Formats: sequence, C-alpha cells, structure tokens
Amino acid sequence: MTDHVTPDNPYRKINSTSAYRRLMTAYYFMVKHPKWFGKKVAWITSGGPVEPLYAMGVLPFYPENYGAMCGASRMSVSLCEAAEQKGYSRDLCSYALTDIGSSFTGKGPLGPLPKPDFLVCGNNICGTVIKWYEIQARAFNVPVFFLDTPFIHDQIHEHTAHYVEKQMESYIAFLERQLHRPFSENRFQRVWSRSLEAIALWKEILDLSRRHPAPFAAFDAFIHMAPIVTLRGTLWAVRYYRRLKKELEERVKKGVGAFAREEIRLIWDNIPIWYDIRNLSKMLSSHGAVLVADTYTSAWALDEIDSTQPLNGLARAYATIHLNRGLEYKIQKIANLIENYGAHGFIMHSNRSCKPYSLGQYDLKREVSKATGKPGLIIEADHTDSRSYAPARVEKQIQIFMEIVKNKA
Amino acid sequence: MDRQTSLLRVRREIERISSLGYKELASQLPKDRRPIGFFCPYVPEELIHAAGGLPLRLMGIPTKISRATLHLPPYCCHLTKSSFESLLQGELDFLQGVIFSHTCDSMQGLSDIWAHQKRLPMHFNLMIPTNLDSEHSRPYLKAEMERFKEFLESHLGEITPQKLKDSIHLFNRIRERLGEIYTRRRGGLNELPGGFFAQTIRAGYLMDRVRYLELLEEMLNALPDGTDDGEDLVPVYVSGNMAHFALYFSIIEEAGAIVARDDLCTGARTLRLMVQEGLDPIEGLTQRYFTSFFCPTKHKGHRAHMETLLEDVEKSGARGVIFLLYKYCEAHYFDYPDLKAALESKGIPSLLLDVEDPSYSLEQLKLRIQAFVEMLRPI
Repeated sequence: MTDHVTPDNPYRKINSTSAYRRLMTAYYFMVKHPKWFGKKVAWITSGGPVEPLYAMGVLPFYPENYGAMCGASRMSVSLCEAAEQKGYSRDLCSYALTDIGSSFTGKGPLGPLPKPDFLVCGNNICGTVIKWYEIQARAFNVPVFFLDTPFIHDQIHEHTAHYVEKQMESYIAFLERQLHRPFSENRFQRVWSRSLEAIALWKEILDLSRRHPAPFAAFDAFIHMAPIVTLRGTLWAVRYYRRLKKELEERVKKGVGAFAREEIRLIWDNIPIWYDIRNLSKMLSSHGAVLVADTYTSAWALDEIDSTQPLNGLARAYATIHLNRGLEYKIQKIANLIENYGAHGFIMHSNRSCKPYSLGQYDLKREVSKATGKPGLIIEADHTDSRSYAPARVEKQIQIFMEIVKNKA
Repeated sequence: MDRQTSLLRVRREIERISSLGYKELASQLPKDRRPIGFFCPYVPEELIHAAGGLPLRLMGIPTKISRATLHLPPYCCHLTKSSFESLLQGELDFLQGVIFSHTCDSMQGLSDIWAHQKRLPMHFNLMIPTNLDSEHSRPYLKAEMERFKEFLESHLGEITPQKLKDSIHLFNRIRERLGEIYTRRRGGLNELPGGFFAQTIRAGYLMDRVRYLELLEEMLNALPDGTDDGEDLVPVYVSGNMAHFALYFSIIEEAGAIVARDDLCTGARTLRLMVQEGLDPIEGLTQRYFTSFFCPTKHKGHRAHMETLLEDVEKSGARGVIFLLYKYCEAHYFDYPDLKAALESKGIPSLLLDVEDPSYSLEQLKLRIQAFVEMLRPI
C-alpha cells in the first residue's frame, strides 16, 4: 500500500512497510544472483509446496508474484504484447503472458529473470499453470515436477488424498535427483514449523481486521502477503509477520483503523486489479468504505493443516486451498467472511485472466446475497492487463453500489 | 440393395440425426436406455452404456446466448456457453443426468454452475488426473473409474462384467469401423464428401450405438474401393477441439483441399481410445488414457503434444495444418505457438481459425481457407 492521502479520509501508513521493502529487496536480490549464494533456483506456482524447496536449500521464484509486480508497476501490457507478437493469444492469462513476454525480452521491473534450474508446478490454483510451465520447461530446457491436486467439487475422497500424498513423496525424490543430495527430515521439520508459524501469524493478522475499525485493509494485505507466498518456511517471514502483527495489535489497542473513517466494511473476491489498487482504494475510502477481508490473501492461511504429519499434512493442506474447492464451499466461505468481519457488502472482480476464480461468481453473488442479505457488486477487469479495464465504468458502478450499501446498512 | 441405394439410405439417416436439435433428438432415442449427457472422451461411454444408459455427447450447437450470460462470463468458449444455454432453455430436460470429466478450468467451473441449477437428476464429476506422466496417476484414475461405476450402478443399473465387456467390444468395433472410413475416405469422396463425413462423426455421439455400428458397416460395404477421387485435392490436417461441423469440412473441400486426417476431439483422436479387451474391463478403460498423448489439458511430458502432432501430420501426408480452436480454449492456445513453430521447422505451414458459433463470419472463413489452400497448392 502506498502512502496516499484522500482529503477526507486519510490512509494510515503501516510502519512495517519499510521492513517489508527491505525484506523483499533482499529476497529478490538473492533470487537474481543465486550463484553468489551457491543456490539453485526453482520457479514455482503460487499454490505450490515451497517448504521442501527451502528444506533443500533451493531459492523459489514465483512468476505469478512477478506478474503482480509487473502489473502494479504497469509494465504488464508491453510484456503481454511481446508474448502476443510470438503468437500467444491475448485471451490467455496475463500473468502467463507477462512472464513469457519477460522471458523473451529480458524486460520487467527486475530486468532479465533468473533462469530456473527446474520448475515446480501445482495445479491447485488453475489448469493454466500446466501449460505455462510446459512452455517454460521447453524454453529453458529444464525438468518440471507437477503436483496434481484434483479439484474438490464437494468433498475430498480418501483415494484423492492418498494420490496427493504419494506425489509428495515423488516430489521429494525429484528434488533429491535434481540436487544430488538426500532430503533431510530434520531440516524439513524446521522449515515446516517455521511455515506453520508464519501461516498462523498471517491468519492472526488477517483476523485482526474483524475488529472495528479494521487495522489492516485488504489492500494492505495484497501487498504484505508477498512474504507468506514467497518466504513461507523461512525465519525471515516469521520475524516479519511478528513485527507486523505487533504493530497492528497496537492499532487495535488504540482503536486505530487502516483509514481514519470506516463507515462501510466490504469483502473482496478474486485477485486484485494490480495496476489500479491505489485508485480503487482511494475511490472506496472517499465513500468511507474499507475492504476488511478478501478471499485471495486468506488462501495462504491454509485451512486444513495437520501439523502432526508433515508430508501428509502438507499434501492435504495444498489439495484443499480455496481455489481448488467448488462453488458451494466458496458460497459458504464468503458468507462466513461477511459474518465474521461484520461486512456490509462484497465486491467481486470478474477476472478474465482467472477462470477458476471467476466462473461461478454470478451464482456466488446471488447465493451469498440471499444467505446474508448483503449486496454484492461484480466489476470486470484483468489482474494485470489494463487493456481489459474501463476505470470510468468501474467508478460509476462503485458509486451506485455505495449508495445501495448505505441504504441497506 | 445396390451400393448407391444403400449409401443413400445411410446418408439420409445420418443427416437426419446430426441435424436434429436436442428436443427433437429426445423423441428419436431408444426407449430402453436412459440418456446421459457428457462432453469429453475422458468419460468412458462404455460404462454408461453397460449400466443401461445411452451416452449422448454435448458438442455445442449454434444458438443465441441469452440466459447463460446471467451465469457465465463472456470469456468462456462456445461449447461452455451454448451447452449451458441449452440446459437453461429446457432443451436438455430429457437427459437423466450429465457427466463431467476434469479437463479445463472452464468445464470445471461449468460443472459446479450446472449442478447448482439442480435441473437434471444425476450429476457426476469424474476426476481425470491432470498429470498422466506420474506413476501414481494410474491407480488414482482406476479408483475414480470404480467410483464412477458405483455411481452409475446406484442410479441406472448393475454393470455386470459381461455387460461391460460387451459394451467395450461395441465401442471398439465402432472405432475400428471409423478408422476404416478414415482410411478409405479418399477413395469415395463423391459418396462421402467432407460435410457428410463430419455429420457421420457427429451422429455417432447422438444415437443408439448398435444402430450406429450397423450404419457404419453398411457405409463401408457401399463405399467404392480402389480409385482415389481426391488426388487433385490438397491434403490438409485439421487439429483442435470438437469441431465436427459439416460447415468446416465442406468449406475445406470447396476450397480444393481434403482433410487427410484430423486430431479433433470428436474425431480421429478418439480412435486412440481402443480398450484392450483381454484385460480386466476397469483396468482396460483406465489404461487406454495412458497409452498416448490425448488432450492438451493433460500433462504427458512437455513435448508430447508437439511430437504426437508432428508424427501424425507426417504420416497423413498433409501439406498444411488447419487449427480449429475454440476461442478462449487456453489449453490449445498455449500450445499453439510452439506447435506452429515445430510445423514450420518441418516446412509445414499452418492456419489458425477461432471457433465460436460456427455460423459466424462465414465469408471471412471461406476466404481464409481458400487463400491457405491456394498457398499449399503446388505451382
């Protein structure tokens, strides 16, 4: 979150942001120069199990996170166009197009991307990543490990859990082959417990916004989620989230919210519109509205963790994340967020780059409103490609929606 | 009956069936089987058939999308939108249920939206593993096949080993006959022009399969052998989704080309799904999905699609490849640039055509295909 100020509703800057910036700079510095640190680099999907990588001393690089960074720095469109010039359709996921364009051109906020030694792809977030990682495996001529987590339309069957657990064993064997060294259970235990601690801290941080006023807006969470995604399993993430939590608990004690004025509390569904976060935040806060929770950042507060069985627990936790669950689960989850966070309504981003998130939103909106009595708004955009976004229309939609929410509140 | 009369009779029946809308089709179906809809060849039709069902493939029909827009965003493929539109309009109310198999994100989302309507009595998601290159995916798929069998038995009827073997044999015979028709097509172009050929493929998913097999056998008996009617035509290969609409095949032939082979989801690709009959039937149904690359939504090694396509195109003798891809089909569009480049490296040009509602932009489609075929024609 940037330190912008709206005249009648100032945003309160989070002091830990400077530590966050240092942390992410250090992380990207290492990933950019792995050889200086004697490390190998694995590209991994955002829902992929990163803990075994850290346990094996491998640096993970997240093309999706990088896509978000390109989107936020408004570099995504030119990178998508570079991929399109190579024959990729504009209708494909703009994270993938951004990454492919960046690989072709060597351009982007970080310059040329670190070449992967191998790839790790988990399809618990979407089917897109399968194709995307196949392309990169061919382009870089490196091996790829796929963790297949069957989508859970209703319930997870025992044979499904077993299938994912067996693959987790294959994942370890794959890492041992790539790194020519055995997997250390002890080291993994340490990483796993750090991961659990970071996940617990992240969950507690998000939970703090149940308080009125919310000390931490979803727009803050979109930024401060980077360590839980990229550094999960490291001490860095644990230390950072301890610090952030402490600061936010202070806010709660003093009754200080993320914004000076909080009259409307809203829930966000889907990946952020990275290139317009600042503007959307400003627009909402000018109405006294704060996004207090979202379905995206809470996905890393993994719900179903069995900490007693590290590898099997890991398998089940990764197989049951929000995006890998069916419509009925999502209806319940948003309804619960509305109730738990005392929200007055919800905004859904119909994201043309993310079908698993976006298909079903129309039904989701109707059902959540029916269950909670709270109004919802769907805005159309794309997470990084601003060519598919009409800000003036969205502004108008939000204005009207705010009137509806105020009348209902 | 002479050959021509026999073929004419077959042709009339196939043309009639393939041109029926869903509602009209309902009245034509055998009364002793319960119609079950499905979309994708990852659904084992044999199991549905053995349980006493009639598998009916939903392949998308030209239709105005109106009600579906209240449930689906615009960035879904035509198959997704038109099938759901048909459901909402009540066109599919005659179905006892629908079976989804896990393939792409759109079908995954559609399945939940479809189930949420609670319009049909049966709904099942067969979870085909995405990674077919893992030693663990085969036992997983077998367990899913067993789960599917149990579901069908509880809703339709018992699947005895003999019934399943009989159904497997029937569907294998259909594939064999279709394979022969693919091979002999060039010898009987007058009798089996492209449009009719596409209708023949389509009809096979919409009718009683025993009758379909009879029609194919009658057709094979009536087709002339020997002469190559298509020797002046430019052989092309067609790759992509389930695009067996008479329109595309007719346009290609009118432009002076012949589809030497295809890799369409409704077509020759399904000939790879022969089930080994000596095996335990469930094992056989499982194993067939691992024998070769089948669909770009699945991972079977990151070069599998490219290698399979290159080999198949080369074997077909095609001079060019036409990609018929559903607009918004991520799995195909992600693969397309590398496939195109691989074909070009072998000196094989290609043409990409978006498939939406097939009745759209007809003239533009004709022009593009004509220009492509002209380019392929030797000077």
